[in-house]
Amino acid sequence: MAQVVLQGVGKTYPGKVQAVERINLHVQDGEFVVLVGPSGCGKSTTLRMIAGLEEATIGTISIGDRVVNDVPPKDRDIAMVFQNYALYPHMTVFKNMAFGLKLRKMKRKDIRERVEDVAEILGITDLLKRKPKALSGGQRQRVALGRAIVRDPQVFLFDEPLSNLDAKLRVHMRAEIGRLHSRLKSTMIYVTHDQVEAMTMGDRIVVMRDGVIQQVATPSVIYDRPANKFVAGFIGSPPMNFIDGTIRDESGVLFFVDGQGLRLRVSKAHAVILEKYTDSRLTLGIRPELFSKPDQASRESGSTLLGHVEVVEPMGSETYVSMEVGEGVWTARLESDHIPKVNTPCRLKVNMSKAHYFDPATEESIGV
Amino acid sequence: MKYLTYILLSLWLLAVTIPLAWVGVNSLRSSKEIVENPFGVPWLVQGSPHQEEAGHPTPQESAQSNFQNAWVESNFSQYFLNSLIVTSVSLVMILLFGAMAAYALAKIPSLGNRLIYLYFISGMMIPAQLTLVPLFFQYSYLSETLSAWTAPLGIEIQLHNSHAGLILIYIAFSLPFTILILTGFFKSLPNALRESAIIDGASEFTVFWRIMLPLARPGIISAAIFNFLGLWNEYLFALIFVNTPEKKTLPLGLSNVSIQAQYNTDFGLLFAGLVIVIIPTLITYLVLQRQLTKGITAGALKG
Repeated sequence: MAQVVLQGVGKTYPGKVQAVERINLHVQDGEFVVLVGPSGCGKSTTLRMIAGLEEATIGTISIGDRVVNDVPPKDRDIAMVFQNYALYPHMTVFKNMAFGLKLRKMKRKDIRERVEDVAEILGITDLLKRKPKALSGGQRQRVALGRAIVRDPQVFLFDEPLSNLDAKLRVHMRAEIGRLHSRLKSTMIYVTHDQVEAMTMGDRIVVMRDGVIQQVATPSVIYDRPANKFVAGFIGSPPMNFIDGTIRDESGVLFFVDGQGLRLRVSKAHAVILEKYTDSRLTLGIRPELFSKPDQASRESGSTLLGHVEVVEPMGSETYVSMEVGEGVWTARLESDHIPKVNTPCRLKVNMSKAHYFDPATEESIGV
Repeated sequence: MKYLTYILLSLWLLAVTIPLAWVGVNSLRSSKEIVENPFGVPWLVQGSPHQEEAGHPTPQESAQSNFQNAWVESNFSQYFLNSLIVTSVSLVMILLFGAMAAYALAKIPSLGNRLIYLYFISGMMIPAQLTLVPLFFQYSYLSETLSAWTAPLGIEIQLHNSHAGLILIYIAFSLPFTILILTGFFKSLPNALRESAIIDGASEFTVFWRIMLPLARPGIISAAIFNFLGLWNEYLFALIFVNTPEKKTLPLGLSNVSIQAQYNTDFGLLFAGLVIVIIPTLITYLVLQRQLTKGITAGALKG
């Protein structure tokens, strides 16, 4: 049990490649924090610095109350689960799990007890005598988890542990890791590029891009109040739709117009904040689920939008519609009772009270 | 196309096995028989009136005398033991040092790695023959200097005409190639295994000894086979650096048979000696070859 604190931690590789730029992060004791971002955003490097596999070029890393910059990985009291499992292929499952304990000179009897206990939790008791190559992907990942758990570390580090599994198994293991966390109550730091994993597993999410932390918040805050355009576009599937335009004041009522026919009425709550942006350029962001079948009221109030339908993808309970709006292609997620035809114009209502506005220059979120 | 492959492979098989069989067969015949009919097969001519009249020995008798002459009188038992000592000690050292160097070069990130690797590999470009004379004098100088230091302890260090001296040369000349193939092999093992073991609490040496070395077994075995073949048959350095008969290795012993006899070579004896030299090589290859093909890394990664 321990908190993990990064203070101004940065990593520059030889040849001046800056992988991580002076980040600050405070992971609470017992918290499940997910680092998420596109590949090359520095999330794995950050995790490896916490593990001690990479040296931080600058800044301090503490685990518990101890600064660990100069502490070798084995003395940091951490365990790590790797993307490709990294099981020792020439050892049985039992020996794989016992290896770390043996190196710590634990008594044989205690090792056996501990390994068997953990194996039972994970449901791999009958695999203990097998070698890794005789296991399926899911079983291997479970053994890798087991190897981490037997060590009873202060902090668990996960480096994209589920990305080698097939979709169904991934959902299953996701839940399993979640259960483990609530059972063990240890601090866990989890790296993934999959925003669904981030949203479903994390107590808090850290969104990274180009070695810089974009936002640290709970999943709901990240989704409802993204700090900038990048976070807004990265989290959520299908991603948020963006369009550049201007705020116009039409006799006391604010409208967002793009100059090519798009004209949406700004909600009252937003109008208070956006008043001072009248006549300036802004980026509007609308999530796919904010579209619906237009009614009389919305037509009259000016909160509908006209697009040209390009692709319709029925998903069963809902339907994804790609349509041309202005110069871009937008995705709308619609209830199955209102499905437009391909290659026809289509008018949809937009729930503007949940729209997002960004400064086009800084890409920072405005107001909200 | 398929038939052509079989025909070519069959021809290759014959090209390899016939000389081997010929050596084996002739080791069972007397020198006289070999000279009279170099390609004769003993059991075909056996019992023919011609043979009995001439008082030829039977194959069993020839074999017994050939191998006895070789093993006992021509001192092949001593040569064999010497070869065994020199080859096995060299081999163990070469594999141990080679694997350690290769592991460090392949897996431990540090700045000078590339340079050190190139330094080792450049050793392969030096023709061994070129080093004979300098090495000879260097050994004389080294022996003197070292002996001067160890004289108070009553120890005299002799690199000339000693197995230790020969072993040192063998190790030095075999390391570049060994490091070349083992570095490639260690590089193919996943880095995550090392990192995982380090987090598990292993020291760098433990990672090497308990995790990486067992996984590099197929690579170690190929290196072992190549080096064994080279060392077991090595002639030049042994000729220059070993003089006394009781320290000579098998290839020297073999050449002794033909040199001593001048124009009167005992071919039966020579072939028996050849068989003695060949058998360990064959056994080594047969035993290790199976291990060689056994892939052991399967399951390390997703697969």
